[in-house]
Amino acid sequence: MSKSVNVVLVIDDEPKIRRFLRAGFELHGFEVHEAENAAEGLKLATFNAPDLIVLDLDLPDMHGGEVLERIRSWSNVPIIILSVESSEEQKVRLLKLGADDYVVKPFGMAELLARAEAALRRYFKSSTESSVVVAGPLSVDLVTRSVSLDNQQIRLTRKEYRLMHILATHVGLVVTHDQLLKEIWTGNQRDNIQYLRILVRKLRQKIEHDPNDPRLLITESGVGYRLQSRLES
Amino acid sequence: MNFHQSMFGRFANTGTAPAGNKREVGSQLDAESPARRFFRARVFPLLKSLTCVCVATVALLGLDRIVPTNLFTIVYLIPVVIAATRWGTWPAIAAAVAGTAAVDFFFLPPIYTLSIDDPQDAIHLLLFLFVAVVSSNLASRLRNEKEALRQRETELQYLYEFSRRLAACFTIPDLISAIQNYLAQTLGQQAVFFVAKADGQFETPNIGAAPREVEERVASMIANIELPAFTIFDEPSQSVWLLRAVHAETAVHGVIAVNIGSGSPASIQTKTRRVEAILEEASLTLQRLDIGKAMDEAKLQLQAQLLKDALHGMLSHELRSPLAAIQGSASVLGSAPAIRQDDRLRSLIEAITDEVQKLDGFIQNLVNAARVTTSSVEPRREWADPKDIVNAAVKLRSRRVAEHRVRISFDHDLPLINVDSALIEESLGQLLENAAKYSPSGSVISVVARAESGRVVLSVSDQGVGITRDEQYQLGRRTFRSQRHLATVPGSGLGFWIASTFIRANGGTIEISSRGEGFGTTASIVLPASREISSLTLANE
Repeated sequence: MSKSVNVVLVIDDEPKIRRFLRAGFELHGFEVHEAENAAEGLKLATFNAPDLIVLDLDLPDMHGGEVLERIRSWSNVPIIILSVESSEEQKVRLLKLGADDYVVKPFGMAELLARAEAALRRYFKSSTESSVVVAGPLSVDLVTRSVSLDNQQIRLTRKEYRLMHILATHVGLVVTHDQLLKEIWTGNQRDNIQYLRILVRKLRQKIEHDPNDPRLLITESGVGYRLQSRLES
Repeated sequence: MNFHQSMFGRFANTGTAPAGNKREVGSQLDAESPARRFFRARVFPLLKSLTCVCVATVALLGLDRIVPTNLFTIVYLIPVVIAATRWGTWPAIAAAVAGTAAVDFFFLPPIYTLSIDDPQDAIHLLLFLFVAVVSSNLASRLRNEKEALRQRETELQYLYEFSRRLAACFTIPDLISAIQNYLAQTLGQQAVFFVAKADGQFETPNIGAAPREVEERVASMIANIELPAFTIFDEPSQSVWLLRAVHAETAVHGVIAVNIGSGSPASIQTKTRRVEAILEEASLTLQRLDIGKAMDEAKLQLQAQLLKDALHGMLSHELRSPLAAIQGSASVLGSAPAIRQDDRLRSLIEAITDEVQKLDGFIQNLVNAARVTTSSVEPRREWADPKDIVNAAVKLRSRRVAEHRVRISFDHDLPLINVDSALIEESLGQLLENAAKYSPSGSVISVVARAESGRVVLSVSDQGVGITRDEQYQLGRRTFRSQRHLATVPGSGLGFWIASTFIRANGGTIEISSRGEGFGTTASIVLPASREISSLTLANE
């Protein structure tokens, strides 16, 4: 991360949620700004240039989705959505609108922090930084296109590597089925999620210790896949 | 497009049809024998008016000395007026003629002959005849008008009563039986209703209720709004049948055949008008019923939607927001070094988290129940890996099954399934939760995903209390909870019902088996699978 202190803007109308988010982020060295409605949130996002925005969907003056769209029209700042609604359709829609990730209420601070760090890492990643993405025992060198598990190089097919590459560049963040299908396949195959399911099975055979109980390549049902940045204890 | 099939056109070619016995039964009332009817309607009144003239003559003969001769003719006006007001024109004219003859015969010289001596008497008599005829005509016209008014009044009365009865009809069958009853009551005739079927044909209620010709005609008709009207003469029973469509603005509900008996063309026309007035009234009511039905349905749906939205909003927002604050705050506390290092404090934080998740699970159940009751569940299907579903379900319930040993095993080559993963995960989670609830902690819960003959089976087996035959029978009910565990195991009883609804929506079933009380239970989700995937595997490279 490039700055010494990351600024996070919390846009949520519930004071008690803002309070614990402030505490949680400050404990981990973030500087926190709060907004209790969309208008204030948009103003702070424009003038205070936060490094990360945590956005609640149910705001009194405007739907969070619209706030997201407005911010995306001029900024690439990482945005993580908080929501009580957990429908897959909505998640996919928000990701398509440009959200970096989402967390469904109720959630633990650790989960939100992991998403926040992943989003910040992707946002601040620059060419000068190492081209190697590490996810637990797995490391992916994006330049040499080599993948190794527990320091043992493993061989991937072209499509398997393509999948690995996209997930590695988004390490810690969810990537939608749509996005994966469009980047890996061409023609009418790109609408067929069955190809993706089978490809994921094969990749898991190579990178997971137990392919039946995957810890690295996680399925987000109805939404997409996520490469965990570190193994859960 | 409405063409009338004239009854007169039907006279010629009905003779060959053999007469069914039943047809005559309905028309007994007017088949009382035409000769007698003619006698009663025409001859009787004539005889009565002539009797009146006789009575007047006898009275005048008795009072010969007292009543002046020139008043005799006036006395004879009395029977004429009586006949005109009671029995109509012809009896009155008969009375006038008979009166003239009686005056001439009994009172004008030469007496006891029909000749007249005095020309003045002749003029007198002619004048009497003229006055009698005119007054009889006036009186009978008055009578006819009175009669018509009274009939109109009864008809209106009937129609009013009919429309009141229609207003009380809330279903189409009610309405149909009201029409049938009404026609039978007021016209004293049969009415047979042919209900329109879905394919546009009409159903014959019971063979033989209407003449064969009528039935054949109905059988050849197709239900549509512009259905022609028919008038059919049934020769065997000498009666006229009207065939009319009963319809609302958009839908034909059936065809009604009404026997209006026989009679002069004028009376047939009157009856036809009456039947049509009734049917018009009925079709207005049908329209009201159609609109009412549609409105009721819309209202119900709106209410269900409002309830769903309210429940959903309240449950997810009002209840989950505080839970989110509790869980979030607890997780921040748990990450503080002072607490992280103290086992006792950390276990308290974990307890908070566990309880929050339990509450959240209940809320999810209620949200799901609201979803299942207020609308049909519409799965968002997508090809999914059964392994992902099993892993997600186990992970989601990991804290609830923490005291059990969960063993997961997969068949080697599981096919993909086309389902709404979220719904299957939720259902499998419910089965896991039930397994954990009804089996001792420390025992094994095994979750198996296997493929068998075009199906994928996800099963959860426990080593718990098992299930009795009776309980198995009751499992599908909305809030079934076994009496054996009411006091010892918490729960709402909604879980299994939601799970089976979700699975059904995905085209699958849940099967429960148990070797009996105390031997554990196996609950299996059975889903249709596709094998075409093996060819896809190759295409993938």
